Amino acid sequence: MKRSAAARAALAVAVLVPVVLVAAVVGLSTGAGSLSLRDALQGREPDATVLFRLRVPRVLLAAEVGAALSVAGVALQALLRNPLADPFVFGLSGGAAIGTAIVTVASGTAVGAAAASAASFAGLLPTQLAAVAGAMAAALLVFTLGRARGNLDPARALLVGVVFNSFASALVLSVEAVLRPDQMQAVSLWLAGSLGYEAMPLLTGAGIALLLPVLVLLALAGRMNLLALGDEGASALGVDVGRTRLFAFFAASAAVGIAVAFTGLVGFVGLIVPHAVRLLTGPDHRVVLPASALGGAAFLVLADALARVLFRGLGAEPPVGAVTAIVGAPLFVLLMRSRE
Amino acid sequence: MIVCLALLLAAGPRQHLGPQVPAEVRRVVTLAPSLSEIVLALGAQDRLVGVTRFDDDPRAQKIPRVGGYNDPQPEAVLGLHPDLIIAEPAPANRGPVEAVARLGVPVETFPLSSVEDIENAITGIAQLLGVPARGKAVRDQIEQARRDARASALSKPRTRALLVFGLDPLVVAGPRGFAGELLEDAGGENAAGASDLPFFRLSVEAAVRAGPEVIVLCGIEPPAGRAPIAGLEKVRVAPLRSTALLHPGPRIPEALADLAVALGR
Repeated sequence: MKRSAAARAALAVAVLVPVVLVAAVVGLSTGAGSLSLRDALQGREPDATVLFRLRVPRVLLAAEVGAALSVAGVALQALLRNPLADPFVFGLSGGAAIGTAIVTVASGTAVGAAAASAASFAGLLPTQLAAVAGAMAAALLVFTLGRARGNLDPARALLVGVVFNSFASALVLSVEAVLRPDQMQAVSLWLAGSLGYEAMPLLTGAGIALLLPVLVLLALAGRMNLLALGDEGASALGVDVGRTRLFAFFAASAAVGIAVAFTGLVGFVGLIVPHAVRLLTGPDHRVVLPASALGGAAFLVLADALARVLFRGLGAEPPVGAVTAIVGAPLFVLLMRSRE
Repeated sequence: MIVCLALLLAAGPRQHLGPQVPAEVRRVVTLAPSLSEIVLALGAQDRLVGVTRFDDDPRAQKIPRVGGYNDPQPEAVLGLHPDLIIAEPAPANRGPVEAVARLGVPVETFPLSSVEDIENAITGIAQLLGVPARGKAVRDQIEQARRDARASALSKPRTRALLVFGLDPLVVAGPRGFAGELLEDAGGENAAGASDLPFFRLSVEAAVRAGPEVIVLCGIEPPAGRAPIAGLEKVRVAPLRSTALLHPGPRIPEALADLAVALGR
């Protein structure tokens, strides 16, 4: 049955908005301990603090990061015409990891400590900044080395990204040898992808910062549809393929960089959510992009809720990046088979 | 931090590996800073020939380093021709420690989880070094400091505190480990609640519910630009003055004084 773009968009909204709301309720009502919603809403402590200053910011963070990674995943899959592309194949994860490791090492030295305190005085967090800078530097490197005859060559860019990621993880492993055990623990938790408790102003800032790349990608959605026809086909229809790729590539990288700065490498979200959403909405990027933002937000909020209850009896919590992969891998296989 | 916590959790009883310890020990290598401090407190500075890269005692500054407590380097250890190696039993250092014992150097391991463990280690090492009277004197000092701390703690109501040993993830001291025992001596009440583990992971939500009056940062820097524990922004955060509480050894009197200051008593 063929549906119009508008009908598919309406379907996506009808399905995904309730899913996001349910995810938010689940995210707010699960945690390390039991919470009386009534006490929290009446301002009784400690329930009010747990709800408003721990769970609300955490659900927001999960939603922002899930949306950013999913939207970036859609864009990169379209750019590379490769369904396996995910936000981390371009070496972005490796670049961010190098940035974080360098800051962690440097914070042990006098110069690094001085720089960190200067940055935090200005309201900036050195680790997050380094992650964004590392991701963007890696994107630039892959974009430069992945070009052939002046245009981004998808296969070449993918290869450069894969090679760079291996190089980066080797570098991080070597650096870990000189870290203190507690620093090493923090770096490996970050590499696994974990959600923390960020302050509301920072979350608002991240949300606003994410809007820009997402809007750029939405504006390019129509042209991404035409890229599916191949570079020549798209050019024949008036798409400036080179510029579309350039803008979409850096917008996606920025979104991933910001997400990664807060949570480290949460895998699988950017791969599975776009595929799942396409089953619902069809391939039109004008619908897939915003729908993936909703789907990604819901997916990561739910995965984080699961992470928080999984080992609750032990007072421990697996990194959410592990949960997204544990849940995501079988789900991905199911999706693939249901498509056949 | 987690690695050295794992080390404490895995602590078994005292163990001996390799050949017999000679009657007169002349060259000692220690594989943990607190063990070096025990040797130094026993007045055996001239016999300490190798320490870890984590050792920060000024008297050990010029002594060669043989790696960390989890990754001692057998080559570096053997190169110092020790006739005794003192280690803390741990899964992570087991391979290298067993290798050194196989190659003919006696190894003695001492768990250091509780104050009792620490005192037993002091007695045991004093015997190995042939200075049992010094060992008894160091133990007596520790017991005296604990009695004094407990006596002066009685004058005020107890201070609810979290002893925080790691932030990502949050790791706190339980009441049964040496840090938790010293907290009680110094007039604190462990907000982390009951647990048999010397150190354990606590969720941030549980930390908020615990309602501490003070958060004592043990060996960790306060994070730049944010409160160490989300949701507890208004709670007083106190660092420790020295590393005494981080090294389960003869510096317990110093650790008690540090805790009293951190608790604001």
